[in-house]
Amino acid sequence: MWEALEQTGWIKTLGSTGWMYSTVSVTHYLTMFWFIGSIAVVDLRVMGVLARRRSLGELAEQLFPWAWIGFTFAVISGFLMFATDAGDWAPSKVFHIKLTLIAVSAIFAFIVQRGARKWAQDPEIPQAAKIVALISLLLWVATILSASEIPALEGLG
Amino acid sequence: MHDTLVAFAKWLEGTPWGLMTRESIWAYPFVQLIHFTGLSIWLGTNFALDLRLLGVGSRRATAAQVAQELFTWNWIGFAIVLTGGFMLFSGIATAFIANIAFQWKLGLFVPLALTWHVVVQRKARDWGQTTDTPGIARFAAATEILLWVCVVTAAVQIPNH
Repeated sequence: MWEALEQTGWIKTLGSTGWMYSTVSVTHYLTMFWFIGSIAVVDLRVMGVLARRRSLGELAEQLFPWAWIGFTFAVISGFLMFATDAGDWAPSKVFHIKLTLIAVSAIFAFIVQRGARKWAQDPEIPQAAKIVALISLLLWVATILSASEIPALEGLG
Repeated sequence: MHDTLVAFAKWLEGTPWGLMTRESIWAYPFVQLIHFTGLSIWLGTNFALDLRLLGVGSRRATAAQVAQELFTWNWIGFAIVLTGGFMLFSGIATAFIANIAFQWKLGLFVPLALTWHVVVQRKARDWGQTTDTPGIARFAAATEILLWVCVVTAAVQIPNH
């Protein structure tokens, strides 16, 4: 099944055309930095170490749309990179860990986004919210680490 | 000049952090993690300001406010990028300085984008007083985004050369 995806006409073209594959890689890296950075800014604000004078609700409202737009582009470009070499990527254990971490991190980002509106009403941000934000932040760090471990441990990418 | 650079690169490769990045299997992913985490904070905060200067997205805060409130973490992000980047460079410095994509990245695009960024950040205080930003601000912000795209493009090309 994964080999069939890899052998699809336009996926083969994408994988073997230098500028096309580069464009997809650049998109993946840029949008990944962009969305993780946008989420990190809100996490740091919830933790009380960034822009304390700005309302949390407003900051979340400014940054989360960028986070999800960036995330969407990163997922699409990531899937395209996967598809060009799907047969090798599909069985990779570390890649499975990376995908799981992305899913869990995205859920936490969603919790922070939903929570931000509520927490912004409180006179002080609850302690539990700060812990959720810290977990969200650390999960993205773990996600980047898992991505960096794929070439180191399995020689892929 | 070139000899000095090569000598410096060779010296870097022999430093403890250069050796560690190059020879330890576990160190490299962690060093890359430092570089990428810094890049996320750096580019995330950069683009937040640039997009506000462009006038897209939420306009409740002015660009001047956005520039001011993200200033500290913007430069914390940069310090992290620099630390990770310097360690990655130290690992195989001689190969990096001979790499044409790396030369474009560090010789042209990074200095250009950084200078541009500093100017945008300083001017954002004037441009961003009101909800609508002047045309020059939108031009400057779009140019900054384009410059960082150039930096990442050059970086992605490094392994191909």
